[in-house]
This record gives sequence, C-alpha cells and structure tokens, in this order.
Amino acid sequence: MLISLLHRTTFVYAGKAHDSFNEVRLRPVDDANQICRSFELKTDPSTQIRDYIDFYGNAVHYFDIVAGHERLVVEAQSEIETTPNSARPPVPVVARSGLGNAGENELHSEFLVDSHYVPLEVEVWKEAKDALASGPSDVWGDVQRICRHVFTSFKYKPRSTGVATLATDAIKLRAGVCQDFAHVALGMCRCSGIPARYVSGYFMKAQRQPDDEEASHAWIEAYVPGFGWASFDPTHDRPADERYIKAASGRDYADIRPVSGTYRGGKTRSLKVDVEVRESQAAGAMP
Amino acid sequence: MSLLSNPYDPGDFFDEMYAAGGEVRPHYRSLVERLTSLSLPEFERRRAAVDLAFLRRGVTFTVYNDSEGTERIFPFDLIPRIIPAREWSRLEAGLIQRITALNLFLHDLYHDQKILKDKVVPAAQVLSAKHFRREFMNFSVPHDIYVHICGTDLIRDRDGNYLVLEDNLRCPSGVSYMIENRSAMRRAFPNLFQSYGVRPVEGYSEMLLKSLLYLAPDRDERPNVVLLTPGVYNSAYFEHCFLARQMGIPIVEGRDLLVQDTRVYMRTTGGLLPVDVIYRRIDDDFLDPSVFRSDSMLGVPGLIAAYRAGTVALANSVGTGVADDKVIYAYVPKVIKYYLDQEPILPNVPTYLASDPADRKFILENTAKLVVKSANEAGGYGMLIGPASTKEEVADFRAKVAANPRNFIAQDPIMLSRSPTWCENGLEGRHIDLRPYVLCGEKTVVTPGGLTRVALRKGSLVVNSSQGGGSKDTWVLDEDK
Amino acid sequence: MPSASKAPAPRPQANVMLSRVAHSLYWMSRYIERAENIARLLEVNLQFIIDFRGYDDAHLREHWGSILASSGDAELFDKHYESADSRSVTEFFAFDLRNTNSILSCVFAARENARMIRDQISVEMWETINELYLFLKARSTADVWAAGPYEFFQDIKRNSHLFQGLTDSTYSRSEGWEFIQFGKFVERAHKTTRILDVKYHILLPDAGDVGGALDTAQWQAVLRSASALEAYRRFYVREILPWKVAEFLIFSDSFPRSVHFCVAQIDEFLRRILGESGARPRSEAARSSRRLLADLQSLSIDEVLKDGLHEFLVEIGMTLEKISDEVVQTTMFYQAESTQEEQQLQQQQR
Repeated sequence: MLISLLHRTTFVYAGKAHDSFNEVRLRPVDDANQICRSFELKTDPSTQIRDYIDFYGNAVHYFDIVAGHERLVVEAQSEIETTPNSARPPVPVVARSGLGNAGENELHSEFLVDSHYVPLEVEVWKEAKDALASGPSDVWGDVQRICRHVFTSFKYKPRSTGVATLATDAIKLRAGVCQDFAHVALGMCRCSGIPARYVSGYFMKAQRQPDDEEASHAWIEAYVPGFGWASFDPTHDRPADERYIKAASGRDYADIRPVSGTYRGGKTRSLKVDVEVRESQAAGAMP
Repeated sequence: MSLLSNPYDPGDFFDEMYAAGGEVRPHYRSLVERLTSLSLPEFERRRAAVDLAFLRRGVTFTVYNDSEGTERIFPFDLIPRIIPAREWSRLEAGLIQRITALNLFLHDLYHDQKILKDKVVPAAQVLSAKHFRREFMNFSVPHDIYVHICGTDLIRDRDGNYLVLEDNLRCPSGVSYMIENRSAMRRAFPNLFQSYGVRPVEGYSEMLLKSLLYLAPDRDERPNVVLLTPGVYNSAYFEHCFLARQMGIPIVEGRDLLVQDTRVYMRTTGGLLPVDVIYRRIDDDFLDPSVFRSDSMLGVPGLIAAYRAGTVALANSVGTGVADDKVIYAYVPKVIKYYLDQEPILPNVPTYLASDPADRKFILENTAKLVVKSANEAGGYGMLIGPASTKEEVADFRAKVAANPRNFIAQDPIMLSRSPTWCENGLEGRHIDLRPYVLCGEKTVVTPGGLTRVALRKGSLVVNSSQGGGSKDTWVLDEDK
Repeated sequence: MPSASKAPAPRPQANVMLSRVAHSLYWMSRYIERAENIARLLEVNLQFIIDFRGYDDAHLREHWGSILASSGDAELFDKHYESADSRSVTEFFAFDLRNTNSILSCVFAARENARMIRDQISVEMWETINELYLFLKARSTADVWAAGPYEFFQDIKRNSHLFQGLTDSTYSRSEGWEFIQFGKFVERAHKTTRILDVKYHILLPDAGDVGGALDTAQWQAVLRSASALEAYRRFYVREILPWKVAEFLIFSDSFPRSVHFCVAQIDEFLRRILGESGARPRSEAARSSRRLLADLQSLSIDEVLKDGLHEFLVEIGMTLEKISDEVVQTTMFYQAESTQEEQQLQQQQR
C-alpha cells in the first residue's frame, strides 16, 4: 500500500523562545514491512538540519534555532510503501522454552528489564499473571493473549492520562490511550520473559469521521525466536498490518519522542499536532 | 629527640618503610638518616610552615553544608612515600597496558560491540550500566581516544603486591594536590630532595595541554582549548582554576559558552570566539540539557550536537563511565586479554558480582566479612566495610544488595599497606593507596608518582578527602639505590 | 540578543576576557564605590545635624526627606518605616537588606561578584572584601548604633579605600582593569550629580535664608559628602557660594570626584573597552560619552544655571546610564541565571 504521511507540530510560546535545540524522530523506517520512498523535513523558522542514527537504529534529525522566535513549526512529509498483507510471512509457533537461549537474550536484555515508563513492579506482574492465568502457550500466542487482555480490560479514554503517565499509573486507572496500552502490554510481556519493545508510528484509518483527531500511534513488537520482531497493536487487538507505518522503536516512549528538545524563554503557550495519514493516489504498480 | 626516637610498630601489614625484620628498606635509608638527625621542634617548624603555605595559597577543597561552604586544607603529611625505579617501571607498564585496553574497549562498546557478541562481557551488564550512554553510539572521536585523563587507584596487599582497586575514567581529580605537595616537599627538605634524585611531576600541565591540543580539529589557527567547570560551588573548583592557570587556558562555565550551527563559541568582551577543545570537569549528565538532564543549569545546549559534528573535542569523552563501573571493573582482566592478547601486568582485587547467582549467595551469607560496594558511587560512599560495621549496618546493606543485585560487588578486605605518618605524638603506620595519573595523547604517559592518599584516622581504611583522608608526596626514584 | 547574532570574532588574543568575568569585575567595582559613597553621605549628614543645632523637627524631616528623595528609594523607605529621622534613615541606608542600595547590600553584592571571579583578582583584594563582608555579617544595627555609627562609616570608607588601593597595586593593567575603572567612575559621577542635586533641587532655602547660616552649613555638608571641602577652599579661598560649589563639583578638571574628571576617565576607558581607536567614535556609547565630555569641557556654570541645574544634572545621570547600559550589553552580556531551560512540550501518542 502506498501511504502519504504528514506530521506537523506547532509550538507557540508566551513571548519569545531562543536557543532552541531539538531532536526529532519522524522518519519512517525501512524494513521488511515498509520502505520509505521519500521524506522531507521542514522547520519554520528554517534552519540547517542534520541527522544521525541512534542506538535503536532510529533516524534522528536535529537542528537549533538560536534567534528569538514566537513559534516553531516542525513539519515532516513522507511517502511510504508498505508490504501488502499477503506478502507478510506468518509468525510461527515457537515454544516458550525457545526464549531460554541465553545468547539471544543477552542482546535483548534491555527489553526484559525496567525502563523509565515501564517499571516492572508488582502491579505489572499481577496483570501478566491474570492474562496468562491458564498457563503459558507459545511465544506469539502469549503475546496476543496479553494484548487482548489489555484491549478488553482497559478503557480507551483520551485525556484520562498524560504524556508522563507510567505503565503502573495506567494499570491503576485501568484506562488510557495507545501510549499507555503499549506500555502496559510491554510490561506484561517483559514480566513473562518475552523481550518486547515500543513502536511509535502511524495508522491509516480507512474511514475517518469529520472531527477525528489524528495523532501518532503506538504499539509493540515482541521477539519471537527464529522469526524476529513481530508487531501487535493492543489498542486495536490486531497485528500491525499494511496500514501501519513504523517511525521508531525503543524501550518505551522516552526513547522515541517524536519531537523533543530544550530552549530558553517563555513557557510554551500551546502545542498543536496535525497528523494526516492517507492512502496515496500515486500511480505505479507494486511488486 | 627526633621523630624516630619512639619505636615504630609496622604491625601485621606491609609497611612501605620497614621490612619484616624491622630493617629499613634500602630506598628509605637516606630519608631515615635525615629524620633521625632532625629534632622534633625543627620538624614541627617545617610542618607548620607547609600548612601555612597551603592555607595562603588556597590549596583547599570545599565541603558544602550550607551555601557558605567550608574550605579545608587537604591534610598533608611530610613523610614521603618512595618508590624505587624498578618497581615503578612495572607499574607504568601495567597502567599503560590497562588504559590502552580500556580505550579499545570503549571504542568497541560504542561501535561494533564485538566483545559483547563474543560474550566476553555480558551485554546485560553493559547495557544496564548507569553510565552507558546510548546517545553516544557510533560517535566518532578524535584519534579514537575516549579516556584522555585517567586516575587509576592502586593498593598493595600484605605481601606487597600492587593491585588495581579501581579506575577513574570520568573526571579524576587530585592532580593539583600532587603538584602542590611536591612544591611543599621541595621547600621543606631542599637538600634531601636534591640528593635523592626524584623524577619530576611538574611537567604534568604541559603534558596535559599537549594531549588536549592533539584532539583539536584540523585548522590553520592555534586551537582554542578551554576548561569547563561547574563553577565556584564545586568542591574541586580550586583544582580547576589551578590547572587552567598552569596551562594558560581560559576557565569557563556552561553559561559562557553557546552553540551556533553546531560550533561552540565563548562569550568574550570582544565577541564570540570559537572553541576547539573542552577539558570538561562536568559529569555527562549535566553537560547538555537538550540531550541529557534537561534541568541542568551547568551545561551547554547543543554541545553534543557540536561534538557529533566533529567541530569540538571533549576530554574525557562522553560515556567513559561505563568502563569504570565497579561491576565492569571485574571484567577488565578479560578485556585486556581480548584486545591485547596479554595477561594483565597489574591484577585486579578479586571481586564477587552480586548479579551472578553463586556470587550473590556468597555475598549475602558473608556480608559481615566483606567489603561491599555499589557500582557507581565515589568518594568512599555507598560502601560497606563489613568487618568494621555494626550488625544493623550490615543488615541494611544486605537488603540493598538483595533488592538490586546488578548494582553491587564485593571483595575480600585487603589489608592495605601502611606508611609511617606523623600523628600527634610520633610516627605511626597509616593505610595508604596510590593514584597515578595517566595521560593519553599522541603517546600514553604516566606521571611518575601521583597522589598517595592516607587514611589519617587510626585503623581506618578510607583514604578519601571528604572522609578524613590526607596525602603524601610520592617520590619515584630515577635510579635504583 | 546581541551576542548570538554577532559574527564570530577573529582569532584569540593572548588573554581573552569572558563577558561574565567583565560583568562581575564591573559590578564588584560599582558596588564598592556605591557603599563608600553612601557611607560618606550618611556620615556627613549625621554630623551636620549634630553640629547644626538650629534644626527644628520640620527641618530635620525635610533634610532626611531630601536625602531619601535623591536616592530614588523614598517609596521603599515609606513602605517599611514610619517616619524619617536620623535613626530610621541610617538604618535604611546602612543595614537594611531589603534595600538593595544599602551599604550592607552593596558590600554583600560586591563580595558575591568578587567570589564568582575569585581566581581573577589578587588574594589581597579577595581577603579585604571577604573580611569586610564577614565583619558586617557578624554585626547588627543595634550593635553598631550603640558603638557609634561613625566607627561603622569609617570602617566602610577605610575598607573601600584599601580595596581600591590594593586593586591599584595588585591588579594588572589589563582588560579587567579597564572594566573595574569604568565601573568605579560611572558610579562616582552618578553620585556626585545626586549629591549636588539634593541641595540644589530639594533643599532650596527660603528667600530670607539665602547665604544664611543654615544655607552655608548645608553647602558645606554637600562638599563634605564629596570629600571636597578642603579642595574647594584651596581653589576658591574662603567663601562658600552655591554657584561656585556647583561649578567645582561639575566642571573641575583636577578634583577626582568632579563630574568632569570622572567623565574624562569614563570616556578613556570606554574607548579602550570598545576598541575605539579612531578619531571619530563608531558606537553610540562612544558618541554619547564624547558629547558629554565636550559639554563638560566647554559649558559655563552660568549657562547651566540659566537653563536649569536640576535638569542638567538629571540629563547627565540619564546619559551615564545609557552609556553604561550599552557597554554592558555589548561586552558583558551573558545568559543571566534566570533564563532556565524549558523543555519542549510533548504530545501523547493516541
């Protein structure tokens, strides 16, 4: 599927901001499931933009705006071609004992321990036990059960949580948005010994309501031995398919912040995010 | 009456001055002769003069209990610690070997991570290290040197063998005391000093400047090197000023610098001046609020971006703390073997890792008999000396270890060597260690001597300044006696 | 933000001066000078009131009121004190830390600035100011008043002189020296205009009092406040005539506290600081300074009196502020502590 993507972030400051140093993780990845055909990043005020690849393989673009400015707009546009569902291999059934391979676990140890947003505390363990009460099955099967558990037991409620909400807070609230659903699911996978990582990206809704708030989306990927990282969306109880675009991954939200940085000056008066994910009308057959 | 009128008891330790039978070691004989001929009042006079000089020159460190801060002189003992030439050559070779391996290790950790893939060091230990800086992955640094200034702490066991206690690869301090102590000794014992043939340490600042200049990006003009300090409130501020002045470079704080278009500049009365090399005495966490801790008022936003762009060099580099993590320390002998295919010349103190199940069991069962340390504290804090602690203290610490095993190691207590030290009424043995300073530039150079720290309290093994430690001048002889 | 948009300077000189360091040297110098001036002002006026027994309550209030008015802090005083008398005014100007322009506040601020750049100043300079600070910190208003405020003022003046003398003899004639001198003379010139303005503008005598005992005594106090009585007498012989006092304090080119003398120094150091070596000034600050100096070199006291002395003095004060502001902005500007890092707000992923 060919998808065109727009992600625009607008900061308006009380007074002027200056010495603004920022990093963005907005460029969709290239992997087995998608290819980023084009990517353009613009800022207003405009400034030179440089890039590097971070520890998790995410493309990071960075820039600074030293002079005083009253607002900052960061706009990323890209065209992504996603592998059609029919061409994606199924996730195999792998026994849980397969995870016990010390070699593989060493390199995935990060995705099995505490992280900033996902402290592996008692509540998380308990939730994982509840989800897998009938005992463990195979790796992918358990991941799906965990995510289904989150989908059914948690309420999707915008504005019930904030950007700083931890997985443990969301569990107490039993509500949240996709960021929280992902964090909770991650915690449960990790407590069950399944390496899992946070994915930031976008989802293309086929039918949009007029007042639909489009935003960036979050889901998880779990490690299935012999297969690799398999993705699942706990907010919608389904694997990520050709309608999903992956932008970045890491331990949790802290590693993938789409736009982050510091500046000096007045507080931010408003933050507006515009996201548009559309099936592209561009011609050209896909293999 | 002289210092040596009262009998000296070396005790059941390796004594620097006296051998087992009570005989004075050959390299101390001239010193002993001099001390025997020196009357007590004369000795006192010289001691007082040295103390006064330190006070006047402001050779202090500051302890901050309130916003005032109390300035203390780092107590100095006039009896030097002497190391024969041959003994030093071995130490020197061992230190150079170690820092070379550590630099290769750091480069590997922040690039291909071959040592992790070959499972010589467990990836989990590295990735969970407090100072492993993911932001620094795949960064290229000038000449692939990560640690430019290293202070490795050495101790001697009961048999007189030198062991590495720990490496300090982030912002090692104490060098200013080494230099000031030497000045003090020269003034106190001018003739003795001359006749002994001691290798000089005064060249340190010049060597340091040279290593810093070596890092400068290629440019036509003379590179601008600065020292970045957290400011007057830092306990080592005296040393920062001292070194900057000795090297003839500006001393700056974060707010004196700004980054524009990935270049670092200094705010001067004549405008913005580009900066090429920064000798930073600020911890990674506080260096750049746009990348690390955003509440840091001490850093420079955009500094890491400039570093990444290669327009400025930092000494020491970012992320070196992963290699002086006390857990990673336990793997250094393997690290030396892996990169250099050599056995370590200087061994580690045998270490137990709480993260290893068998070791953990041993540690928890024997806490009262061990020295237990938390992986990333300094200054003698976060440490339990089992045999010297109360039952409550031991129980407390044991609970901490059980809760967070990755963060703790333990070692059998080493009976540190002792050196005769002037205490109130006469010479008594006090435990010491040694911190030599290693500079890595075009060549790797070890300053002959370093800082010998003394635990001034009777029976204490803790040598740190903030907890009752003092220092001695360290004499490396330029030829064997 | 001037610094950020400036083009990078040419290659480093042997000794670069950080803007922040220049800033601290400048303010350290100004605060010491300020403390000394206030001490002198208070001392003279206290002495005056004691000497001149002809003062009734109304005159007393008016007298202290005038000092308050000239300081610009009258409103602040009224907030914290009931009425203006010797004790309350002395308290306000000498010991009150709520008054940022009190002697205590100035010494504390001077010491704080000195501490920030301790490695730049000599050990003697630091020890002097630190000892003064410690000494003041340990005393209370009650102590000082009991011991006699004159002792206190003597201490301040003595230490200030000591500090300035040590600076003279131990501080290298470098760029730092220029900032210290610039600050000192800006402060001093300012103060002289204020001292003069007090009497001329506020303590105007009634028609019958002109030339009378009170009037003359007040003029003597004005001269004493500027340490100028002996110098004046040497210059003008005996008579203390108002217009002559004004002329002396404004136009004398030899008396070190006259406005003219100070502005000549300000002009010199300003040009060195800004690197103005050409015949024609380039910066606005140098232009203003040159113009002011020219006026002080050429105007006569009659002209000034005709157009209004008060206005003249106020104008000089404003010009001095403008000049010093510009120099600070150009050379000593650096991020003040108050500009915190703000984090870019984050948006949740929905």
